[in-house]
Parts: sequence; C-alpha cells; structure tokens
Amino acid sequence: MRDSHTLKSLAVLLENKKISSKEVTSEYLKNIESGKELNCYNTISQEKALIDAEKSDERRKSQNLRSKYDGIPIGIKDLFCTKGVATTASSRILSNFIPNYESTVTQKCGEAGMISLGKLNCDEFAMGSTNKTSFFGSVKNPWKSLNSDNELVPGGSSGGSAAAVSGDLCVASLGTDTGGSIRQPASFTGTVGLKPSYGRVSRWGIVAFASSLDQAGPITKTVEDAAIFLDIISGHDEKDSTSSVNPKENYYENLNPDIKGMKIGIPKEFRSDKLPASTQKSWDECADLLKTNGAEILDISLPHTMSALPAYYIIAPAEASSNLARYDGVRYGLRVKGNDLIDMYEKTRSEGFGDEVKRRILIGTYVLSSGYYDAYYIKAQKIRSLIKSDYVEAFKKVDAILTPSTPSTAFEIANEPSDPVQNYLNDIFTVPVNLAGLPGISIPFANDENNLPIGLQLITNSFEEQKLLNVARNIEETISYSETPEKWWLK
Amino acid sequence: MEFDKKSLLKLGKLARISISENKLNNLSKDLNSILEFVDQLKEIKTDQVDPTSNSLNQKLEVRDDKVDNKNSTEDVLENAPEKEMDFFVVPKVIE
Repeated sequence: MRDSHTLKSLAVLLENKKISSKEVTSEYLKNIESGKELNCYNTISQEKALIDAEKSDERRKSQNLRSKYDGIPIGIKDLFCTKGVATTASSRILSNFIPNYESTVTQKCGEAGMISLGKLNCDEFAMGSTNKTSFFGSVKNPWKSLNSDNELVPGGSSGGSAAAVSGDLCVASLGTDTGGSIRQPASFTGTVGLKPSYGRVSRWGIVAFASSLDQAGPITKTVEDAAIFLDIISGHDEKDSTSSVNPKENYYENLNPDIKGMKIGIPKEFRSDKLPASTQKSWDECADLLKTNGAEILDISLPHTMSALPAYYIIAPAEASSNLARYDGVRYGLRVKGNDLIDMYEKTRSEGFGDEVKRRILIGTYVLSSGYYDAYYIKAQKIRSLIKSDYVEAFKKVDAILTPSTPSTAFEIANEPSDPVQNYLNDIFTVPVNLAGLPGISIPFANDENNLPIGLQLITNSFEEQKLLNVARNIEETISYSETPEKWWLK
Repeated sequence: MEFDKKSLLKLGKLARISISENKLNNLSKDLNSILEFVDQLKEIKTDQVDPTSNSLNQKLEVRDDKVDNKNSTEDVLENAPEKEMDFFVVPKVIE
C-alpha cells in the first residue's frame, strides 16, 4: 500500500483534524529538501507556503474553508505564471522573470485553498521529452532500474511535475501537455497523468508553446485524484477565447467504474515489433481485464497514426516560432547588449534560448517562410484533418481507445540519443491525441522486468473526460497498482 | 531543400537568432534530419482535404469593448530590462 498522501486521503485527515495544513506542508518541504538531488524544483516557496498553510488552518478553525482540499500542498510546473513568484519556463531568457499576474489555473488552485510548494522543473519552454533541455539541469527519475545504479530520465516536458509526485515532493502537481508532456513523464514515473480535451482548461497565463495544442492538466497518484484535480482547474474562462463553453461536469462525484457494455478499441497501427515485450504484455492484459469487467474489445484502425509525429513537428515548431517571437529583450526577461536593435535581438535570443528551442524556432520559421508555407505548414494542417477524422470515425464504433503511453520505459539520462528525431519518437503514441484535441490519460499498469513502471494510455472523444476517468478508474480499482520507488536519494 | 551554411544564416536572420560559426555544422545536420523526417508527409495525398488549424469546433466569442484598469503602466514596465520614465529603453533605431 502507498503510505504517502493523496488529495483524497489528505482531505480526510485534514477534516478529521489528524493533521494540520502547516504540519503537512512542513512535511513536504522537508521531503523537498532531502530530495534536492532529484532537481524537481526550480523555485521552492518555503516561506509563502508556510504562511498560506497557517491561513488555511485558520480558515478550517473558523469553518470558512474554500474547498475540501483547502490546505493541501501541490507543485506547479514552472510554465504557469504565478504572481510574485519567479516563472522561468526553465529557460535562461526568463530566468529573472517575476510575473505580476496569476494564471487562471493556479488562481483556481488558490481559490480552492491549495498551497503551492513551488515551481517545478521542466524542459525549456516545454520542448523535450527527457527534461534534459532545462536551463536548470535534468530532473532525475525517482525510479532506478533493478540492474543498474545509473540515473534515469523522468520523461518530459513535465518531468519535475511527475518526479515530484512519484517521489513524494508534493501531493499532486500541475503539468502541461502539447504532444505528450503530461502523459509521457507520468508513464515513466508510475503516476497518473491527464491531458484534458483542448479547451477544457484555460491556457491564460501559461507560457505559450504551441497554442492550438497546449493544454494544462494534473499529475497525481491516483485516477480519483485526477478527477478531483480536474474539477478544480477546468471550466470556461473569458480570458481564453479557446476555452470551451461546454459546461464542466463533477468528475469526481460522478466517477463510476462500471464499464459493462462499453466498447474499447485497440488500434492496429499502434502495434509494433519494436515495442518491448513487457509493454505489449501489459497492453494485452489490460484489454483482457476490461473484457472480464464487462467491456467489449474491438480491433480498430487509425490509418494516419504514423503521420501524426511528422505533422506535429511542423505545426508545433511553427506555432512556437511565432509565440517565442515575443522574447526580444525589450519588455521582460534577459537582454544582451548589442550594437543596434537587431544585434540586441539576435544576441539576446541566441544566448537566452537553449539548443532544442533554437532548433524548433528555426524549423518553425522555415516552414512558415515564403515558398515553404503551403508545402509544409498547410500540408501538416491537412494531415491534422485526416488524423482528426480517423478518431471521429473510430468513436462512432468505440467508447474509448487503449494504447501504450510510450514506446519504452524510462531510460538512462546518459543514453539520450543525440539525434533530435530519435528523441521525438518518445511521443509517438501521445502526439495524435493533441492534434485531434482529445482527452487522454496515462495510468501505471505494471512494472517491467527491470522494475520500471509501464504506463497505458486511454483516449476518449472530445469532452468525454468523465468516460475516460471512469474506464481508468475501473482499471485502477481492478489492478490496484501499488509500486513505489525506493527512495535512494535519502541514503 | 537542404540546409547549408548560407541558408542557415538566412534562417537565423529571419528568426533573429545569431548562429555562431562553430555551431553551423551540427545545426545543419540536426535540421536536415528533422526536415527529412517531416518530408515523409509528401507521400500522402491531401488534394481534397481542408486544413485544420484548431481542433475546437467553437465560434470565437467577442468580448465587450469595455475599458478596465488592469495592466497599469507600472505593471507593464515592472520586468523591463531597461526603462526610463514611462518607457522601455532600446538601442537607438534612427540613423
């Protein structure tokens, strides 16, 4: 059994006065201190967290609680703007940036009384799948392989968010997912990672990477916690014109693991000889389990799956090159002096951005440039339509789709491929979901022969988060995955 | 199309990122590798397909054109690398 807290369990302890917010916040701050080697946090809000926790305890005393989850300490990916607290996107170019406004999502967490422990490390501008592109250095995965003492990547880009939940450096955390950045690190760390439908959660105040793909979501220990956290952060926001006006549901209250009569699709295009045997085994076992629990398993086809990744690596860099044009050394962030204005721009951006971010800006600039716009950018957007219609067709036949979350389990930090394209393949199973704007969740299913977590991904139609969480909860309830990493950093 | 030294420097100019001489080789190798990867899309027929720029089927709402007092001059200038009075300071742009 997990002896560490979840949002659900901690809410009960706080309610029954078994523990105060100040006590539990101090406990986590101690965990953060003793877990410094994991490099999860870019900023630790020690003082502010303790003051906020005291205020929460006062609210509890005066029966003036903001929500059931008032006083619970969480971690926030360093991509959400937080008023008065440094927000760096793990980039040198924003390393001195202190916003004077609060993102809608973190505002909502505050309105629920949640306590921010600090800002979590991530890949620079959320571009990466190993957390190695961070200006502040790699996050280390709390998990280690049975046969080796070498440090493993936590995945990315929300690597700090996933590692912090897995290593008990916060109860739950916020991440963002543009091509897999919540689900892939969740898969690598044995945690639950939920990417909501595009538009379900406000993007206002989140450092933009690719605006038509970015979506914020929770990383938690359990599916129940994912439902609780989504209740807190979702909903329409007039500050984000792409946030959906669809009314939000009470995901946690309506969580119902009954899947009798549901149809679950297994897409043949996700099958591969290169998939590790243990991942294939988990995938098969999970399908069997769903069948035993009353669902019907159907083979389906998503014919354009293999085109998703190349289309993504046109669309995401194109949007990124446009979004990141704002970092010019004039209004905020780093400025490197130059001989004239243009020289200042070029030097600021050259020194302020890391290699992967520069690669993507350059590719994005190229595919948007005169003469190549139609051949690359419009072409990729057409492919996006084909991918989307694959899913539209599939959801006429099935309620949910089951796939692996990642093509491998966590690998060694030292073994990251030097070819960027090889790295991009980490997101091969997660990227199509962003292009189609669908909700997806990664849940831990089993550990492989090296004792590393294997994540499986569930996908449903747009705004069917309830169904997604219900199926995920059914699996969680049946397998009760309870593996935890050995805390090697405490030795 | 292949990225050579000249086209890479031009791209750097367009993106306002200076690229140092010693990084050109690796960068062109990386970018060519990415380009080769995305070029596989050329094989897919898309003549009859409309592009999708955003997956959300929702009309963009227009907000009321009302004045509010958010974003004060002070707030906007707070993070400026260099400022003077109510202005951002930049290198001279007039010859």
